[in-house]
Formats: sequence, structure tokens, C-alpha cells
Amino acid sequence: MSSDFETFKRFGVDKKAGEIIFCEFEPGDAFYLIQSGKVKIVKVIGEVEKTIDILNPGEFFGEMALLEQAPRTATALALTDVKLLEFNQQNFDILMQGNPQIVLNILKIFSKRIYDQKRRFMILKLEEIPARVADVFLMLDENSRKPEDPTDMTRTFNTTPEDIAHWAGITVSKCVEVLNSFQAQRRVEISQGKIVVKNIADFQRFVNSRRRTNT
Amino acid sequence: MPKSITYKANSVIYFQGDQSDRIFILKSGKVLLKTQDIETGKEITEIINTGEFFGVKSALGRYIRDETCISISDAEVLAFTVPEFEQLALSNTRIIMKMLKVFSNQLRRIHHKVENMLRKGEEVDAETGLYKVGDYYFNNRQFAQAAFALSRYLTYYPQGKHATQATLRLQEAERYAASGNPGSKGTPQQARPSAGAMQGMTGTGASRSSGGAKEYYEAVGLISQEKYQEALNILYKIISNNSDPENMAKAEFEVGRCLTHLKKFDEAIRHFTALIQKYPKHPDLKEALFLIGKSYEGKGDKPWARSFYEKVISLSQEDEPTAIRAKKAMQSLTGGAV
Repeated sequence: MSSDFETFKRFGVDKKAGEIIFCEFEPGDAFYLIQSGKVKIVKVIGEVEKTIDILNPGEFFGEMALLEQAPRTATALALTDVKLLEFNQQNFDILMQGNPQIVLNILKIFSKRIYDQKRRFMILKLEEIPARVADVFLMLDENSRKPEDPTDMTRTFNTTPEDIAHWAGITVSKCVEVLNSFQAQRRVEISQGKIVVKNIADFQRFVNSRRRTNT
Repeated sequence: MPKSITYKANSVIYFQGDQSDRIFILKSGKVLLKTQDIETGKEITEIINTGEFFGVKSALGRYIRDETCISISDAEVLAFTVPEFEQLALSNTRIIMKMLKVFSNQLRRIHHKVENMLRKGEEVDAETGLYKVGDYYFNNRQFAQAAFALSRYLTYYPQGKHATQATLRLQEAERYAASGNPGSKGTPQQARPSAGAMQGMTGTGASRSSGGAKEYYEAVGLISQEKYQEALNILYKIISNNSDPENMAKAEFEVGRCLTHLKKFDEAIRHFTALIQKYPKHPDLKEALFLIGKSYEGKGDKPWARSFYEKVISLSQEDEPTAIRAKKAMQSLTGGAV
């Protein structure tokens, strides 16, 4: 991968572990590609710093600043020492000419994120918290490979209450509470790093009924 | 090879919920996309005209079709697989640019909707938001991060409603950040306090009364002797002591000059860029632009160096010393390039 980036050396930015790359709310005019190290994306909500994502080499962040200088929607911190490539509107053309594949990858990321955000919006629109949690499972199911046997309604997800809480826009403790009640009703089984949904069609019916009454 | 497919009027090209990796371009006829507004659930339709792409997002993002697609007249389409589409786009990058604009816009809008949903009315304006980020790190004793956020706040909102508070906190954060890890080498944001604030701690009272003038001349003296690092230490002290505004502005400019001489070109460029944003009417503006050009040149970036020299010349009278130097620099650039 590194040889791809030779031409872009002059866009290199290095940050030490713990340093802020950009702050939420500051006007954004550049986006970044991680060459080495890890970057943590956080948001300060009330009195808590919430980790939204941890990004690895080859990943982008800040790309929403690409075409419009709107405020940053999160803070990016170097989790380890990092080497970044910094692109802005001025040198974007150079990137496009030198490596259109990178730009095409950004386009793919945008496509995926638009969908994720739309889907997340649908989840958040549900008023009942248990319905939101169920809908998160439906979303995860939509994005995973279908089982070979179409009548098989059991689904295993490699996910955690933290992830689900994030998607459902609820606190982790509330999420655990909902998951426990699902478990008591034998609708899910929770184990380390894994959650099994016994009958995904049951969740689908549940969410559908709540979505209808909602709109 | 992309496949040509014809549809009779009122055929479904794909259903919402389908999974597919096909991207289409409409060759003739009319096609309709049907989806629901995510907020109201109302049906939205969009007509696709000849020459337009459809089915792009779901294919590229590898998710299910977001809309149902129907031909409303006899229609002919070209169907691309994702790799075929990529090939086309890479040889015609205008397609990528155009789609990027559309998608980034959509992303921004949906993101905003989600944010509103999560924040439920407690919308914060960017100015207060940025200040609060600094405030949060300050309260959690992450002083380097606090200093970063607060200095950004002051860069963007020098007259802002939290400016006084931000200035005070920034000084404190910088002092703590410096004393917390005196050996740290960090970025300019971190290095700045550790170089200056440590020495500044005892001298704060004295230097404030002199407004930093004496120190400033001392620094300029050191610069003329090419003792840039020593000059920098004094300059940072002037800045972190929040001296007289005029001396602060002059000191900030000299910091950039030192960085350029020390061949810390990236830092110099960043510093001057921030300086210009902060003091758009800085008396040394042209010189700052010239030094940005020099720094780019130092980095071997001739196109950028040239554009800054051009900027200096366009802003100056012909016989101004800065303009003359910029012209000379341009000539030597071209000389080097041939």
C-alpha cells in the first residue's frame, strides 16, 4: 500500500499518540487517510467522551469536509503515533489525477454511509426502545450473508450491547436491560461477544407493527 | 462488457429490498424511482433521464436497493457490474466528481437529521460547541487536548462570546500541559507551551507590565544573529503571557519566520495560515505569504510556492521589497525547473 502513496508524500502529517487531529465543531477543510497507526473518533456528549469509532491504516476520516466546509461532526484523536495524508479542496485535484482509485473508494464509503445513516434514522424514529433494539438486529441481518436454508430463522451476530446501544441511540445500561428482558422471553441468547436471535422473523413482525403505528 | 437490456413500459427493473451489484445508465426511454421519505413515510418519485445513472449507491455500498425502479415507457438501459463501472469512472473522473458532490450532499443532510434526532432539541451552535469541547478536556485534566481545542476556538472566534474565558483557560491548560510532561516534544501546539510557559511562569507579572515589547526586541535581535531556537523560546513566552495585542501579533509573525529558518516547513505553513486567519490585516501579511511560498519551496512543492509568490506580487506595488524578492524567487523556481 505504501508505494501507492509515494506521490502524496508532501501531504504527510504526523501526530503523536493523544494529539487531536481536529475538533468537533471547528470548520473542516481537509480529510485524512491513515497510513500507519490508529485514530479514535470521539464526541463529547454532556460530561462524557464517547468513542464512536477506531480507525486503522487505509481508512479515511473527515471526508465530509471534502466538498463543503461545514463544522466537524466529531473529534479525531491519534490513538497511537500516526502518519496521515491530508487532503483538501486545493490538492484534491492532484489526488484525483494521481490516484482516482482512492477517490472512487471515497465514493463507495459515501454510498455505504448514506445507507447506514438512513437506516439509523429509521431505527431512531421508533419510539419504543425494545423496538429500536430489535430493529438494530434487523439492520445487522440485512447487511450479513443470508443463511443457506431460507427457513432457518436463527441468526448469530458478533456484536456487543455497546454497539447496539450506539445504533439505537440509547445508553448501554438501558440496552443491557432490554437485551436481558429479551433473553428472559427466550427471544435472544447472549454470550461473550455474541448475540443469538432465535427468530428474526419475530423481530421483523414486532418492528413492522411498531413502525406502522408510528407513522 | 456492460450489457444492453430493453424493458417494455411498466416493467420493474428492480425492487426495493433486492440485492444486486448492477449499475445502470439509461440509454433511451423513461424510468421512475419510487421510494419513501424517511421522515414522513410518504412516497417520493424521481424521474431518470437519458444519460443518467441509477442504482449506483446500493451497488457501490453493497446494500439492498433503496428504491423500486420501473420503466414508464419502453426503455433501453446499459447494465454495468461494479468492476465495469469502476473502469468507466476511472477513465472518466468527471463521473466520480459529479457523484461525489451529490453523495456528499445527501450524506450531510441525513447526518444532520440523525444528529437532531439524537440531540433532541438541545442543538448547540458550532461556536459554543467548540468551546465546550475544550472545556470538557480541561475539566478532565487532558490539558494538551484542551489547549488544542481552546486555541482553535480563539483562532476562529477571536472576539467570540467565550473568548475571555477561553483565553484564561488556554493559558492555564498550556501551563499544566507543559509542567505535566516537560520533556514532551509533541506538535507545535504542545511544543509551544512547553518551550515558553515554563519560563513564563515566574515572569508573568513583569512581562505583562512591559507588554512584551522588551522581549520582542530581544527576540528580533536573536533572529538577526540567526539564533532562531532561542528567539522562538522568547517569542512563545510573549504569546503565552498574553502580552500587549500588538506585540503578540508581531511575535506570532516572528515565530513563523523562525520556523521557516529552522526548516520546519510544515509547521511554518500551518503557523502562517493560522496567523493570516487570525489577523487578516496583519502589517506583515505579504511577508507571511512570501514565507509560506518559501516554505513550500523548501518542501520541494514548486506549484504551491509559485502560487504564493504570485499572490504576493499581485498584492504589492511593483517596487516593494517583498514583491521584488517574490519575483526573484519565482525566477529561480523556473530556472530550477527547466
